[in-house]
Amino acid sequence: YLSTGPRLRLQSALGFLLLLAGAQALVPSHRLTARDLARLRAVLERPFTDVRAAYYSIVGLSSLGVRLADEKAACKFIKSNVDSSSVESLFYAAQSIQALSGCEVTISNVTRELLLAAVSEDSSVTQIFHAVGALSGFGLPLASQEALSALTACLSKEESVLATIQALETASYLSQQADLSSIVEEIEDLVARLDDLGGVYLQFEEGIETTALFVAAAYKLSDHVGTEPAIKEDQVIQLMNAIFSKKNFETLSEAFSVARAAGSLSQNRFHLPVVIVPDGAAAVSHHQPVLRLQVTNVMSQLLTQVSVKLDQAKSVSTKATVLQQLPFTLSGDFFELNFMNVKPASGYYDFSISVDGDKRFIANKVELKVKVSTEVGITNVDLSTVDKDQSIAPKTTRVAYPAKAKGSFTADSHQNFALSFQLIDVNSGAELIPHQTFVRLHNQKTGQEVVFVAEPDSKNVYKFELDTSERKTEFDSASGTYTLYLIIGDATLENPILWNVADVVITFPEEDAPSTVQSKNLFVPKPEIQHLFREPEKRPPTVVSNTFTALVLSPLLLLLILWIKIGANISNFSFAPSTIVFHMGHAAMLGLMYVYWTQLNMFQTLKYLAILGGITFLAGNRMLAQKAVKR
Amino acid sequence: SEYGGGTAGRLKALDAFLLYVLLTGALQFGYCLGVGTFPFNSFLSGFISAVGSFILGVCLRIQINPQNKGEFQGISPERAFADFLFANTILHLVVINFVG
Repeated sequence: YLSTGPRLRLQSALGFLLLLAGAQALVPSHRLTARDLARLRAVLERPFTDVRAAYYSIVGLSSLGVRLADEKAACKFIKSNVDSSSVESLFYAAQSIQALSGCEVTISNVTRELLLAAVSEDSSVTQIFHAVGALSGFGLPLASQEALSALTACLSKEESVLATIQALETASYLSQQADLSSIVEEIEDLVARLDDLGGVYLQFEEGIETTALFVAAAYKLSDHVGTEPAIKEDQVIQLMNAIFSKKNFETLSEAFSVARAAGSLSQNRFHLPVVIVPDGAAAVSHHQPVLRLQVTNVMSQLLTQVSVKLDQAKSVSTKATVLQQLPFTLSGDFFELNFMNVKPASGYYDFSISVDGDKRFIANKVELKVKVSTEVGITNVDLSTVDKDQSIAPKTTRVAYPAKAKGSFTADSHQNFALSFQLIDVNSGAELIPHQTFVRLHNQKTGQEVVFVAEPDSKNVYKFELDTSERKTEFDSASGTYTLYLIIGDATLENPILWNVADVVITFPEEDAPSTVQSKNLFVPKPEIQHLFREPEKRPPTVVSNTFTALVLSPLLLLLILWIKIGANISNFSFAPSTIVFHMGHAAMLGLMYVYWTQLNMFQTLKYLAILGGITFLAGNRMLAQKAVKR
Repeated sequence: SEYGGGTAGRLKALDAFLLYVLLTGALQFGYCLGVGTFPFNSFLSGFISAVGSFILGVCLRIQINPQNKGEFQGISPERAFADFLFANTILHLVVINFVG
């Protein structure tokens, strides 16, 4: 039970932690890379099949800032393929023509009447959208207030996400003098309907195409009206992650929606997501001391009119701040910073980088993990044989990397073998503790190898000692000459080391030596298992069982003889029908028993038995009654 | 001699039957002891048939013996015989099921 003082402190600590967690902004995980753009363009640049395909291609490409290759041919295609009796077709034609330069078309009065008639409360939201879009695209006058009221009325009847998105876009074609605020409020409602996937993605359950169309429509309307859309920074990034996670565009409409979303997010008046891309892996070393970054928008277009600043660089292991408040310098397309100037120790560093230049930037503060690599050097390598009894002084030999020690060392029941060395950073002279420091002993004759880990002591000197009596299980007590290797490795080392240091003759006490050392090869065929089938039980010879069968029938013979002697007879047999039926039925029942034994199962037998039994019982009843009467 | 004179013919015939069943059962048991229990279910089936038949035969004999008439007031010899047949049917149904 905490008293009030500590409890308050705990609560404020928790609150602070939550605040800190929230303050950690989301980083974009997906964008349209150059390759994705190329794929998108390839889909959009396919030849047109109809006016709708033409609309998707032309408007999609113009959102990406790409001009069509042959605009005249596109214009001709649209003019010849448009269906003047369909509002939808007119919409596609109108919007496409607006995107093309130098494409003019005259609209007949009939068509105009058709379009105006479609803007009414009886149409669906889609029809109003197409009609208003067509009128706007052809440059025809439109009564915005009436259109708005028709739109609002229809929207209240239809609740679907797509209808609302189309309403947003429709409102962007209407004059600003009409009060579009009710439509603008729909943006907030739609944002509430988005599904949050793992805190990283935000999309409608209808799919990415719908999400992309929403982004395009929301920003188009917001730009038109001049109010910031009700989408939070983190939500914009989540939408961006969801939309640009789609890398394969199966249909033209999918490609169109992603292209429009990309266009909106790279050019609108309110939110511009920024992506910071390191050049290659974010790693620096003495050979490559400069960290290079590129700053792009969602479409991988470079932004160079910005300033990139390093807020702070902290070491991951020591948490010490190494650099603060340093600007990057622009060189060509890259922003550069020479990190090795501050002579950092090798390891990982967290860089907090911020990009400024436009108030609209979002996701412009990122954390980047930068690796600083170095080269390792091994010094003070001493190999010695230490006498167990401490009677003789240890013999030490110094070896220099990469030479091999001359002569061999012995380790047996009287002597231990010892190795000590130090690891330093070649460039700075500081001591290093890499992740992998292994001592590998390889038996030259049998191919066995045993690997140990060398541990550093308090002064960062690595020590390894081989005691034959302690280690005989690892070696399987196999004596012989072993080659000693030193293996040094780490993620931040540019020169991992595999060094054949010396030869060590290890002798284990004789009584433990195995006769042959089998290589524990797990992948040879194992001995075959012979399956023992269940042996049938021993039966007596047929002669014996036949004899017994005859023997067992002999009492029957005896019975017949006895019965004759007693004088049992069937002289009282009356040929009454019930008697005959009874005897037949009984005989049948006995026959049924035999048939049961050979062929039937219990259920069938019971069935037949019931029938026969019933007959026999009735007949027998009558017969015995008659007998009783006679008596 | 008392047996030969005092017992009805019917009963003597029944006794002969009982003797037959007894011998059959004893022979089955002797075979099992001598030669082996394979197949055990067949032996059991045959043996139980013998034992069961013997018991039912004894019951029938008791019931139709005129000297026991006082104890079986409601059961006529015909009724006893019918019971005997019925019980035997059930017994041998099970026996045939088990003999395999």
